[in-house]
Amino acid sequence: MMGLRETSEISLQCLWLAVLGVVSTPAIALAHGVYIQSKTTSAVEIQATYDSGEPMAGAQVQVYAPENPENALFSGTTDAKGRYLFVPDRPGDWELAVRQAGHGDITVIPVSEAGVITTEFSNSAGLTPLQRGIVAGAVIWGCVGTALYFRRGKH
Amino acid sequence: MAHNAFLCRMALGVVLPALIAACGSGAGTVENTESEDAVSETPETSEASEASEASETAAINNSEDLGELALRANGEDFVRQGFVTKDGWQIDFDHLYVNLSEMTVYQSDPPFDPEADEQITAATTVGIDEPITIDLAAGDETAEPVLVETLEAPAGRYNALSWKMTPAVTGPAEGYSLVMQGQASKASEVVNFTLKLEPTLGFVCGDYVGDERKGILAANDKADLEATFHFDHLFGDGDAPADDAINTEALGFDPLAAIAEGDTLNVDSSDLQSRLSSEEYELLMGILPSLGHVGEGHCQETELTDS
Repeated sequence: MMGLRETSEISLQCLWLAVLGVVSTPAIALAHGVYIQSKTTSAVEIQATYDSGEPMAGAQVQVYAPENPENALFSGTTDAKGRYLFVPDRPGDWELAVRQAGHGDITVIPVSEAGVITTEFSNSAGLTPLQRGIVAGAVIWGCVGTALYFRRGKH
Repeated sequence: MAHNAFLCRMALGVVLPALIAACGSGAGTVENTESEDAVSETPETSEASEASEASETAAINNSEDLGELALRANGEDFVRQGFVTKDGWQIDFDHLYVNLSEMTVYQSDPPFDPEADEQITAATTVGIDEPITIDLAAGDETAEPVLVETLEAPAGRYNALSWKMTPAVTGPAEGYSLVMQGQASKASEVVNFTLKLEPTLGFVCGDYVGDERKGILAANDKADLEATFHFDHLFGDGDAPADDAINTEALGFDPLAAIAEGDTLNVDSSDLQSRLSSEEYELLMGILPSLGHVGEGHCQETELTDS
């Protein structure tokens, strides 16, 4: 009997555990949900072209943070128009190399405390004043674009 | 009183903007007397440097802040292993001599941009005083880039490099800045060539661009920096598409094979000028200033003179 009682007690405990399990399961399932937050941040967009003006599409990109010029913090490839976007998370001189088929260039992008390219920015690639304006504009676009990217909703 | 106060405000209104404008324009027009011609083993300061920067520069002159900087020259696999030109010639080099002069490395601040019309501004420069002839084809197919010289240098970021190619005074390239010696073969045809060129060329380059960063020298440590030569610019690259710029802008080897005498082509610049068509010779001379790189990074081509 004791054994039965124990069995029924155990069964009762199991039932409670099962109830608890059923009750708590949605909470456990919620832990696997996806919750996407949105925020606005500053991004830098570059565009790499050959001398001819042809975009360097699919070129390798390495981005070096100010305090670690030997190891790339970000790496990736340019899009079809030779563009690449990254978010500098600290001020200083960021370096960015673009390479393709044995040819490449490296440029320094000074980022201020406010997270934007400083006015002294004189990007390599021999940018004309107009092109520099385009780069500066890209930072503003980056703020908006990055915000839009993260604001895809909550699931 | 009110009248005086108004006058004071007017004066301030005129003077303050003028002062601000003067400060702003002063900062924007600071010039630096140092250029790529400055060669010194002793750290120097520019006109733009403040006293604090000067003391920092002096500090890195301490022996404990020195490191070893190896300067190398690299003809890449095209030179070490041979290659096929845009017009189908297999090229194998026995020797490829370049005579390097005034090879200088810089801690450029701001970083030098060879694509822009500007000069290097550097607080610290280190250079090789004497011209030196090196053979880019030295060693086997797996050889490391040729060591030009190892320099004791202040620690820091060496992010710019310049050198000249001048006619050698002595040695295997005597009288020439560039000597290419080897065999070109295509089907059953073989041409043993020796091309001896004497123009003076100057290259001013920014940071090394490649698989790894170079020129970052810590105290009591070692680093290297490389002058890279792209000979595919001259002959083209049979592995690249025919319409790729590396081929459309290259001379190839057909024009040289056409002026060979039997299986031998032994010519200097004046021979090439008289025996190539004027278009071909101009193309050749126009390509030479684009040979110099820093890894994959382009250089400013500062001079091209016929000796």
